[in-house]
Amino acid sequence: MVDDQVSIPILTDSDIVSARQQARELAKRFSFSSSELAGIAAAISELARNIVSYATQGTVNVSLIEEANKKGILVIVEDQGPGISDIPLAMQDGYSTSNSLGLGLPGVKRLMDSFEIQSEIGKGTTVIVKKWVLR
Amino acid sequence: MKVPILKQGNILIATIQSALTDNDLLSLQDNLAHQVIQYRSQGVVIDITELDVMDSFATRTLRNIANILKLRGAKTIIVGMQPDVAFAMVQLGLTLPDIKTARDLDEGLTLLK
Amino acid sequence: MEKQSLPKSLNIDTLNLMNGMSLDENEIQHRKDWLQFDQSDEARLTELNEMAQGYADEVIESLYEHFLKFEDTQRFFEDPNILKRVKNLQKQYFLRLTKGNYDSKYIEERLKIGAVHASIGLDVKWYLGAYNFYMRAVATRLFKAFESKPEKALAAFFSLTKLVYMDIGLAIDTYIYQRESTIQRQQEAIRELSTPVLQLRKELLILPIIGAIDAQRARQLTEQLLHAIRDKRAKVVVVDITGVPTVDSRVANHLVQTVDASRLMGATLIITGLSAEVAQTLVTIGVDLTKIHTVGDLQGGIEEADRILGYQLIDSPADPSHLSSQE
Ligand SMILES: Nc1ncnc2c1ncn2[C@@H]1O[C@H](COP(=O)(O)OP(=O)(O)OP(=O)(O)O)[C@@H](O)[C@H]1O
Ligand SMILES: [Mg+2]
Repeated sequence: MVDDQVSIPILTDSDIVSARQQARELAKRFSFSSSELAGIAAAISELARNIVSYATQGTVNVSLIEEANKKGILVIVEDQGPGISDIPLAMQDGYSTSNSLGLGLPGVKRLMDSFEIQSEIGKGTTVIVKKWVLR
Repeated sequence: MKVPILKQGNILIATIQSALTDNDLLSLQDNLAHQVIQYRSQGVVIDITELDVMDSFATRTLRNIANILKLRGAKTIIVGMQPDVAFAMVQLGLTLPDIKTARDLDEGLTLLK
Repeated sequence: MEKQSLPKSLNIDTLNLMNGMSLDENEIQHRKDWLQFDQSDEARLTELNEMAQGYADEVIESLYEHFLKFEDTQRFFEDPNILKRVKNLQKQYFLRLTKGNYDSKYIEERLKIGAVHASIGLDVKWYLGAYNFYMRAVATRLFKAFESKPEKALAAFFSLTKLVYMDIGLAIDTYIYQRESTIQRQQEAIRELSTPVLQLRKELLILPIIGAIDAQRARQLTEQLLHAIRDKRAKVVVVDITGVPTVDSRVANHLVQTVDASRLMGATLIITGLSAEVAQTLVTIGVDLTKIHTVGDLQGGIEEADRILGYQLIDSPADPSHLSSQE
């Protein structure tokens, strides 16, 4: 079965807007509540912005997925940037190397149902998150 | 300009109309900082009824705007935040603790008078 | 137990069942593999069909004789016409076991039977008893027929056992599936019933929360409340949690989130009915109670709300109707 999916290259701040809009459109096909849709858009906005801020370029991949008896959305955000040296530190509320709020990564984890992050210094960062439709 | 700013008496009203890029937000910050001085405004209402997502950057920019305007002697009120936007924001951990809020433009204007 | 008779016709949407239980070709094959049911079993069973036709009536008769000895099963067959009809169906069912082609069509028929029995309220134990009765009846006859070749009788009996276990598995899964669907429907209904957002007067909402809150319900409550704030243009909301038995850190964090989100929308949230014990637990687990506006009980909460809204409650006999009849 071919799952529906979109892939958005991220280079500038206007790509962040288009990534969250396209993801929201895709997610609308499943019965997410309106506040879950807003949450998905906000999460993608955070992850895409981290690419623009720290890695200059990367990709946001969004796909609709179905497993045994649940449906949801899978978001894979990857870049070939500098990587994150201390992931547990980066995941803490308030930790930021850019004098920002430091809420992006931990906030995304709170918004989504599953959160995975892989990063290698000098190679890049990949964040994989999922959100299931409540049933 | 993405965000029109309206002058009503000694109050400025900025109406955010659609999806904003980071640069749109930064230019809103610039414009408000200048116009508050130019018109000697006492207060600014930022109407975000149409906004469908608020992330950490937008939140930080709104907070910066409020702080800058405060230094210039003007109060800032955010009005019209949608329920879904508010819920996503608090889950991210964004709460804007020191910014005044109101339900809609009318209420925001009343609070500033 | 209440008396119950077999309904005239039962509309069972088997296609929906197959989908809901994810019984596609893959899953069917998987179940057969698990039981080691293969072509040779199918061949052995098909071979028995002729013989089965010979003893089918006899087996069915004795099965119903057995059924009629028990009150629980008796009650289904009070009408002789029904009894005749179900005996006939039972015979078809029995003979189908030795007809080969155990494909998705076969599975669908089996599901239907399971679903019918589940919906008339026949317990699984009676269902299992009937299968057991079948197996014994057939085993005796098989070993008699193949008296000189007991290994052939045993092989045939094993093949039948595999198929019957597949049938039993399907039947039980149908029972479980139907129960789960019912529970899910009821939970949804309860959830909707138990979150009434009441408008007490203009700009004032009350949300009495009753019952345990899990993560999912907490989420829905917050969503509903925030939407009600916008739709009803509320300025103050009193959330009464007297009816919530336990408040753990998760529920507490949800409360804090709801308070923050309401404020972002320009509304104030007041929490009432927070017991001293609960308050202490919250502080112990690190919830910042200063962020939450709490008032002892619902009455006090409403008075506080009125104060914020600028209403004055006057004890004089003057007509107070303007306080409550707006909108
Ligand atoms: N894709 C990335 N590549 C390299 N470093 C990253 C990446 N994403 C996050 N980081 C690092 O992790 C830190 C925490 O990220 P997070 O998104 O949580 O906060 P922030 O971006 O600093 O602030 P906010 O998102 O609240 O504006 C960042 O400051 C940065 O050092
Ligand atoms: Mg970030």
